Amino acid sequence: MQKKNVLLWVSAGLVYLFLYLPLVIVVVFSFNDSRLNAEWVGFTWKWYGKLFHNREMLGAAMNSLIIATVSTGTATILGTLAGMAMNQYRLRLLPLLVLSPIAMPDILMGVSLLLFFIMVNMTLGLLSIMLAHITFCIGFVALAVQARMSSMDPALVEAARDLGASPWRCFREITLPLLLPGILAGALMAFTLSIDDFVITFFTAGVGSSTLPLQIYSMVKIAVTPEVNAVSTLLMLLTLVVITGASRLYPAIFRGE
Amino acid sequence: MQGKAWYKYLLSLPPMAYLLIFFAAPTFLMFFATFRYAGEYGGLAPWYLHEGGRLTLDLTLENWQRLLETDIYLRLFLKSIGYAVTTTLLCMIMGYPLALMIARSGHKNRDLLLLLVILPFWSNFLVRIYAWMIIFSPAGALTRMLNGALELVGAGPVTLMYSPTAMLVCLVYVHLPFMVLPLYANLEKHDLDLLDAAQDLGAGKWRRFWLITWPLSLSGITAGSILVFIPVLGMFAIPDLLGGTNGIMIGNVIKQQFMESRDWPFGSVLSMVLTVTAVAVVLLGSRLGRRREGR
Amino acid sequence: MKSLLGLLLLLLATPVFAGEELHIFNWNDYMSEEVVAGFEKNCNCKVVQDYYSGTEEMMAKLLAGASGYDLVVPTQNAVQALIQQGFLEKLDKGALPNIKNLDPGFLNRSYDPGNVYSLPYAYTTTLIGFNEHRLQEQGIKPISWAVIFDPQILEKIKGKVTVMDDADELFGAALKYLGYSVNDVDEKHLREAQQVIMKAKPYWAAFNSSSYIKELTVGSVWVAHGYSSDMVQARNDALEAKRDFTVNFILPKEGAVLALDNVVIPKEAKNKKLALQFIDFLMDGKNAAGLSNDVGAGNPNAAALPFINPELKQLTAIFPDQKVLATLETLEATSAKVRRLKNKLWTEIKLK
Repeated sequence: MQKKNVLLWVSAGLVYLFLYLPLVIVVVFSFNDSRLNAEWVGFTWKWYGKLFHNREMLGAAMNSLIIATVSTGTATILGTLAGMAMNQYRLRLLPLLVLSPIAMPDILMGVSLLLFFIMVNMTLGLLSIMLAHITFCIGFVALAVQARMSSMDPALVEAARDLGASPWRCFREITLPLLLPGILAGALMAFTLSIDDFVITFFTAGVGSSTLPLQIYSMVKIAVTPEVNAVSTLLMLLTLVVITGASRLYPAIFRGE
Repeated sequence: MQGKAWYKYLLSLPPMAYLLIFFAAPTFLMFFATFRYAGEYGGLAPWYLHEGGRLTLDLTLENWQRLLETDIYLRLFLKSIGYAVTTTLLCMIMGYPLALMIARSGHKNRDLLLLLVILPFWSNFLVRIYAWMIIFSPAGALTRMLNGALELVGAGPVTLMYSPTAMLVCLVYVHLPFMVLPLYANLEKHDLDLLDAAQDLGAGKWRRFWLITWPLSLSGITAGSILVFIPVLGMFAIPDLLGGTNGIMIGNVIKQQFMESRDWPFGSVLSMVLTVTAVAVVLLGSRLGRRREGR
Repeated sequence: MKSLLGLLLLLLATPVFAGEELHIFNWNDYMSEEVVAGFEKNCNCKVVQDYYSGTEEMMAKLLAGASGYDLVVPTQNAVQALIQQGFLEKLDKGALPNIKNLDPGFLNRSYDPGNVYSLPYAYTTTLIGFNEHRLQEQGIKPISWAVIFDPQILEKIKGKVTVMDDADELFGAALKYLGYSVNDVDEKHLREAQQVIMKAKPYWAAFNSSSYIKELTVGSVWVAHGYSSDMVQARNDALEAKRDFTVNFILPKEGAVLALDNVVIPKEAKNKKLALQFIDFLMDGKNAAGLSNDVGAGNPNAAALPFINPELKQLTAIFPDQKVLATLETLEATSAKVRRLKNKLWTEIKLK
């Protein structure tokens, strides 16, 4: 082991400071008793109270959760299939299709899906957002599953087959349990990506389908009250809970990822 | 089971069909749209006309001509690429020590330190931008402190909000984890015996770094750079919120065509150029990565 | 994951609203919350609002197929384009008894002769809001567009000025400053306007169509180009926050853009009956006055005038008299070709 390098630790510490200082400020200013929220005035809980009476915000949060749940579910199934296929066969088209959406800037997927939905005469709304989210989530699940599968011993399945197990039983009792950490890691990633997505949702959202990030964007743009801070603080708290919960339940997700 | 064709198709067909419909088809439609006329009130004009009972195509190269007739779009691209390159370099400068520190710390702390890098990345990206808007606001503590210090040395006050600096800080902040994670994954795999051997042979700290760690980490840097460069290139929210009068990137102009000017064909042209740029960067990056691994 | 599912179940379990919903697409900060609450109580329905901050943005969203709005509040030029596009439903005047309250001066305009599709809702002017104290300190008296366009004046307030992030509005102001009409589509005149904007740009802090209310109130911006209703709000906010300065506003002497905002019902609206009810409710004198009092917009409703805050009523920038009205112009719908030209000039401005 090398000696601890002071310079290295100090510079890394500064980067951590850079990462966390802004978030601390958001949290602190959510308790600021000033509508303008430019300088510190005094402590208050009122923005949180206001938030829980803000119907638009609650509606948007609800939309976000519905979209994230449905798209994570669908993308997890499709992504798992894709990951397994990519691991077992030498395919050309599928890896290209799976990886390209990850490699493209979000805005491109947003505008091309907007064009597509309009051309096929589809009304923009929750459904169009879900279809878009599934598209960009599949790749992340597929990658996680593929990585997990490549570390799996194929002899296990072959042995079970030789012992007379049906393919379905093999899948259910051997492949699936072994793949589960990979699938869950992928699903978790898909969920956070979906609930966090702004750019693609911005282009594919329609009437009454505003999501939390869209709502935050319009609030940030108009910059009215510390309610933005309050909702941000709650969101951070929620992700913190989800992440710690997931890492407790399935520590394997966070190892080797 | 491996050999059975139906099993192969059972696995690969559903995701392939989905992505063909919702990724490949839209991309192709966008390419097609670059040759169409804009509708008078937005959207796209029909691509065929009925003339005397016969179907004639109504397509044009006008949108591509518009791209080439002035140099402003070229300058726009160069400017965006400039922002993307600067952001990537800054992320590298800041991310490298961090990744190195995590990779060299004990196994017990490593997971926690890594989690601490990812955690901010899991809070909404607009929230993180907003945090910097508070910090940069003229009444904010940072600006006041800075201007107080500047006054002491006799320099005039500066505004941080709505400046290229503010944009760059935000771009780096949002994309830093994309650099740190692949770098860490690379650095963690290094064989520390190499460094020990070099030390035994009398190599100093910096020499060891430049001769061993740095060259070995180049593939990690390439991966991280691609992951930072591409999303920055297509960014529009940060210039929108913090850019001021000069902060405009290709993403903003694309958004303008679709959301404000109602000129979808030209928006598609710009999008296609961005697509080609992104593909080129990815190919170049994977080429570089492969060559290094071959060595 | 589990906690999240729990949260989801909790949210799903909360009683879902059973009554009807009215989806409105409106300018931001352009509706009296009290009036909305009053209507909801009256009809046992829920009003769901989405907001926009620019005409082009709204048009793009609507024409991109955002169908499902029951009521939209577009400005006159957008009404004209939406009618030509066949996007709007004819209004059933029989269901609108309060129509008698509207000031005939605002009816039967060229963008919708006979008001077949639209009824005036409110009006604003695009003018200059400013920090009275700071400008006084600098010895600047804002009476003309020069305060945002003349480099000699801007020199003293560099970095303290924002202009609208809206090509039509900014070109309109620059064209007025040059003595042309805001609807001038002559490429030569537009290029002149572009030059005016380019020369002034280095002195501006940002293009900003949405947060200038806050910036003026906080005091970080001293001069802002924006909507009159927003300036009224900034002035009230600054008073309320007890700042050591006051925010004021002025209609430049060269004239300015007048925006006449209307209520319309899209053809594809799901709840046309409810939308008509709401329109009629809005045209009630007292409710219409609520809009002016809360939002600071001018009012085309004659029956509303007695209920409007007298202090607001005497401001010519909000309620222009005949003389001022003669200097104001409304924007007209533009063709795809003009939009393309303007966008090119606009991109050049932003890039330099």
